[in-house]
Amino acid sequence: MKRSLRWALILAVLGGLLTTLAFVGAFTYARVQTFSTTVNVPNAVARKAVKAGFPAGDAATQMAAPPGTVAVHKPWFSQKIFFFHVPIAVASLVVMTIAAIFSLLFLIKRKKSYDTRAKVAMEATLVFIIGTMISGDLWTRASWGVWWEWEPRLTTYAILTLLVIAYFVLRNSVEDEERRATYGAVFALFAWVDVPITFMITRMMPSQHPALTGLETSNLIPFMIGMAGMSMLGFAIYELRFNEEHLRERLAALKEDLEG
Amino acid sequence: MPYEDRVLKRTSGLGGSGDGSTDPPSLGRPVTPARPKISSWRQFKAILRKDIVMELRTKEMITSMGLYALLVLIIYYVALSQAGSNFDVSRISAGLLLLAIVFTSMLGLNRSLVHEQDQGQLDALLLSPIDRPILFFGKAVTNLIFLLIVQVIITPLFYFIFMGNADTAAMGPLWMVALALLLGSIGIASVGTLLATMSVNTKGKDFVLAVIFIPLMFPLLLAVVTALNAVVLGNPDMTSVFWRFTGIAFGYDVITTVIAFALYEFILGV
Amino acid sequence: MLDATNKLLYGLVLRDAPFVIAAYAVLWLALAGYVTVTLRRLIKLDKEVKLLEDAVKARTKAE
Repeated sequence: MKRSLRWALILAVLGGLLTTLAFVGAFTYARVQTFSTTVNVPNAVARKAVKAGFPAGDAATQMAAPPGTVAVHKPWFSQKIFFFHVPIAVASLVVMTIAAIFSLLFLIKRKKSYDTRAKVAMEATLVFIIGTMISGDLWTRASWGVWWEWEPRLTTYAILTLLVIAYFVLRNSVEDEERRATYGAVFALFAWVDVPITFMITRMMPSQHPALTGLETSNLIPFMIGMAGMSMLGFAIYELRFNEEHLRERLAALKEDLEG
Repeated sequence: MPYEDRVLKRTSGLGGSGDGSTDPPSLGRPVTPARPKISSWRQFKAILRKDIVMELRTKEMITSMGLYALLVLIIYYVALSQAGSNFDVSRISAGLLLLAIVFTSMLGLNRSLVHEQDQGQLDALLLSPIDRPILFFGKAVTNLIFLLIVQVIITPLFYFIFMGNADTAAMGPLWMVALALLLGSIGIASVGTLLATMSVNTKGKDFVLAVIFIPLMFPLLLAVVTALNAVVLGNPDMTSVFWRFTGIAFGYDVITTVIAFALYEFILGV
Repeated sequence: MLDATNKLLYGLVLRDAPFVIAAYAVLWLALAGYVTVTLRRLIKLDKEVKLLEDAVKARTKAE
């Protein structure tokens, strides 16, 4: 077995383990985050709840609560998606950047392997983007009550999705090998411009989408584990696919050899 | 077995350089023999003249784009026919107008490059002593001119068909509309020229153009519609919204034109 | 080591649970499926390449 393939397998297993660890940590170790909205709970549970870390609501909400109950801040259960959603989203942007770098290298050096690498990285990007979209959509439904919102972050990311799909449509529509590689590289570089925009947009203009700031330690640790796991998984997918493409080319060359 | 890394050799636009001797194998830019230098401005004018003379003879681009735009307007009429008399079209007019322009421009861009392809004009241009950067600007500016001509026709037409009864007292000055449309057209022409040059060489042609063109155009279209809408509705904060979004459109135009210009060389002659 | 807050949480808001569970399940299945499919294709290709390599070797020896 090739060495890079063995590494890819090790990273895939390790990435799987780490993301699973992050998943477990998200539901056990990570402290529950609260909303500004309150919920009325019976006195017996409320004492425990406040002790456990749900802040009690202010005076007005206490007045409104029926007798025998206390208003406490609502736990934010859907926030738990964050431990998977953000790592996979960040990984998608990172892998797309790698694809853009290899595209640029291809245009300069015009080596076929750079094109293959760019294509494979773009494929991993597509897988991660779909993952981000699905988990993000379920989160907006749970947290905002809608499936989709035309909001800066969601809009720019949707455009990114369309661009990555367009990249493959463009590639599949070109027959000549060199032309396919060149067009793909040119389009990938153009499409990459959306990556920094997507990343920065929640920090530049008012957006409903939460930006990652000031995470408390109990949340930060599972999150970092998830990030590490997802990056490994991303690299593993990229390496596996590259090995596969390489074998395919080798196979084609051998077939030609046997026939010729 | 080490991975065999092939270097994809860049062949010239004429389908393979007959004598590989002058081409360095890795970069393979066709070496232009020494010729008397023609000024860039004259080269640019020559390309422009070629396209305009051809258009004056065939009148193909303007008629096809104009007719297509007219048909889009007719479909708008069908779509809005049951909206009722108290429906205020001006609220969505900016979007409707831009939609017609986007569809028309995609048709036009495709046509303009298919021309070059069909008659082997692009190959001839690559053979001619014209600098490749000039080629990009030449094509982009011709496309821009045709786009602007069509807009000059359909924008008043749109106004008379759909906004004849609308309350336009608050509407901003006409030059604001023109500026927003001009900025939109510049972006469409520059990015569109690059993308259409690629898409005419694919199997899918116009479909591929739509798929790669619309997502890249999205920020520009959004900015132009917001600016136009502010002018048409004439809200109190019209000027500030207008300038903010024309600013975004202008920034988009500058950035994308630079990128398209830088990347255009790579897609020529592959 | 399920802490008290988490326990309370599960009692309080099971409304969001289907979405959270679906998000994790879909992602996990998608990633696991993609890796598995790629691996299987890879192993198959590897076998084919070995087979052909042997064939080429045998032929060059025969020549």
